[in-house]
Amino acid sequence: MKRRKFIFFLLLPTLLLISFIILYPTVSGVMLSFKNYSLYNFQNIEWVGFENFKAIFSDPFYINTIWNTLEWVLFSVFFQLILGFILALLMKEPFKGRGIYAGLVFYPWAISGFAIGLIWSWLLNGQFGVINDILIKIGIIEENISFLSDPSLAMFSVILVNVWYGIPFFAIMILAALQSVPDSLYDAAEIDGAGYFTKLFNITIPYIKPTLINTILLRTIWIMNFPDIIYGMTRGGPAGSTEILAVKIINTVFYESDYSKAAAHGVVIISILFIYTIMYLKLTSKREFSL
Amino acid sequence: MKKLLVLMCVLMVSLFVFSEEVITLNLIEAFSSPYRTPTLNNIVQMFETLNPGVKINVISPPYETAYQKINLMVSTEQPLDIIEIGDWDLSALAAMGKLEDLTPYIEAWPEKDDMVEGVLEAASIYHGIPYLLPHGIFVKALFYRPDILAKYGIETYPKTMPELYEISKKLTESGKNQYGFAFRGKGYPTAFIDIVFTSFFDDIDPNNMYLTKSGEIIFEDPRAVEALNFYVSLYKDTAPKDSINWGWDEQVNSFVSGITPLLFQDPDTTGMLNEMLQPGQYKTAPIPLGTSGNVYPSFGFVGWGIPTYSEHKDLAWKFIKFVASAEINGYWSKSYGALPVLQSVYTYDSYFSSEIFEGWTKMFDDPEHYQFTQYPLDNENWGKWNEFQEKTMQQVLLGQLSVESCLKQWTDFWKDAGIL
Repeated sequence: MKRRKFIFFLLLPTLLLISFIILYPTVSGVMLSFKNYSLYNFQNIEWVGFENFKAIFSDPFYINTIWNTLEWVLFSVFFQLILGFILALLMKEPFKGRGIYAGLVFYPWAISGFAIGLIWSWLLNGQFGVINDILIKIGIIEENISFLSDPSLAMFSVILVNVWYGIPFFAIMILAALQSVPDSLYDAAEIDGAGYFTKLFNITIPYIKPTLINTILLRTIWIMNFPDIIYGMTRGGPAGSTEILAVKIINTVFYESDYSKAAAHGVVIISILFIYTIMYLKLTSKREFSL
Repeated sequence: MKKLLVLMCVLMVSLFVFSEEVITLNLIEAFSSPYRTPTLNNIVQMFETLNPGVKINVISPPYETAYQKINLMVSTEQPLDIIEIGDWDLSALAAMGKLEDLTPYIEAWPEKDDMVEGVLEAASIYHGIPYLLPHGIFVKALFYRPDILAKYGIETYPKTMPELYEISKKLTESGKNQYGFAFRGKGYPTAFIDIVFTSFFDDIDPNNMYLTKSGEIIFEDPRAVEALNFYVSLYKDTAPKDSINWGWDEQVNSFVSGITPLLFQDPDTTGMLNEMLQPGQYKTAPIPLGTSGNVYPSFGFVGWGIPTYSEHKDLAWKFIKFVASAEINGYWSKSYGALPVLQSVYTYDSYFSSEIFEGWTKMFDDPEHYQFTQYPLDNENWGKWNEFQEKTMQQVLLGQLSVESCLKQWTDFWKDAGIL
């Protein structure tokens, strides 16, 4: 018991620091969502209960925004994971120029998301975009494609860019985990006559499962809170077809200058992520790798 | 050692006695850009040279977040002496009660009678009090490329909205990536759609663009259906499909590259076009008249104000007055592109009577057909309207919402906002 108390006191400064830098802004943000703090109302800020939540849920576009958010997160994480995994497996094998190749592959991760959004918005531009130009020159299409102005293509386009942007992170994390798998396991499996896929599904994936779980969890949270690429490319348009909750927060602040309503959108995001995290961790904590 | 000590004491005392106290004024701008901020810095430098002992600290937040920063700084009374205020932000700032009423300063200012008619009145939208002195006016004009039009045998610019449609359609050859009109689909497209829309009316309230003179919301008027249908046709038949996702950057880029040789824009676009195009390669014309025979442009403005808590109000006014003087206002407008606020500037510099300014000169000379009106900027749903109008307008263009349903939603919006 004494030892437990001692540990608690040693960790107390960290706890206080975390409370100050994380807990305080969170509580303050949640409280803001119950007030009427807007640009037009700096003088009479008061408690308004659930008014902001009522307002956002009565917005006819809101269900669409939530669906867009789920679509954005699900497809982005799924393809980033699969392609990041494949990339990590390829990068694990030694080959000539691997260092240079790794540098180039991981390059997107070093650029700001907003800058990437702007760059891709020009690349995919329906009139002057390089992508259209290339596709026409190699004979794949005859007329320019409006990647960002056709609602059926706009979400596909922003997810495509986000996948391109996020693959390196998965690749780095998985590559690090792959390098920790003992070679002796593969040697033993080979003696038993296991093929490539048997080794992959019975040794590699179970062994790196904790890394996969944490990386998927982290990326899901980040992607849900990541408006940069969409904001740079479409600002949520056309007609709200790419508007996710994180973009909605920016639009609420910039257009409506309503900080409390923006905070209410933030509370919705936190609630969704909270439910997701609990469910995800419960589902993934059942089976552990055992030798 | 003693001698050195005495010498140092004498030096310190003389420095204290002869040094002049430097007063620093904090100025925050709302529309920073690589084209404009250097011009502002040059003007500040001129003022500092003429006023030794005064230093102006220019704060240039990024354009996208400038309004938020200014409002937060003013609301928390952070040290500011001169604030740049745009028309869309004036009511919010004035409602805080932290802007100085500039009436006494303006009354005593000799050049006030030289101001372009209506500017000061427009700038007094909040309770009729001038909380800022405008330094630039924004009115949209029709920019056109005579070189591209000539290739299609078109010798003149469109003078009416139906002509705008016809000429734009004639120019449109999607297979050649050639279109007529540089459409605006995102990033505050309000001013663009409303100019086209209200040109179908002849009785717009000069104090509120969304009301008729008899006090009815324009969106429930039968003419609104015709207006919105025309707007949809203009997009579908004459503009690139992609332009539903275009803001200022894309519009200007498309105009410069010749893809869309017709464009509605504000005068600050001239700053960039003068650098990117050869003289004569672009001109301006009045906004084409609507089927009603009228057009109702909005009168945008931007100016300088003083926070009530500033400790150097007189000095701040001295700077504001300096920027508003004919010479500086001319330099500022020519370099940046906004229209000058003093009448004398238009004759003072021949640049303002050149072809580049023809569009505005003709509109100002024809008040019968060009009737300036105002947005309901003091309505607190104004910001929300911009997002809502953009989204629903895009739905109509994409065929996701009918013209009638859209107009019904717009009417309901303004009824709920208490515009009547």
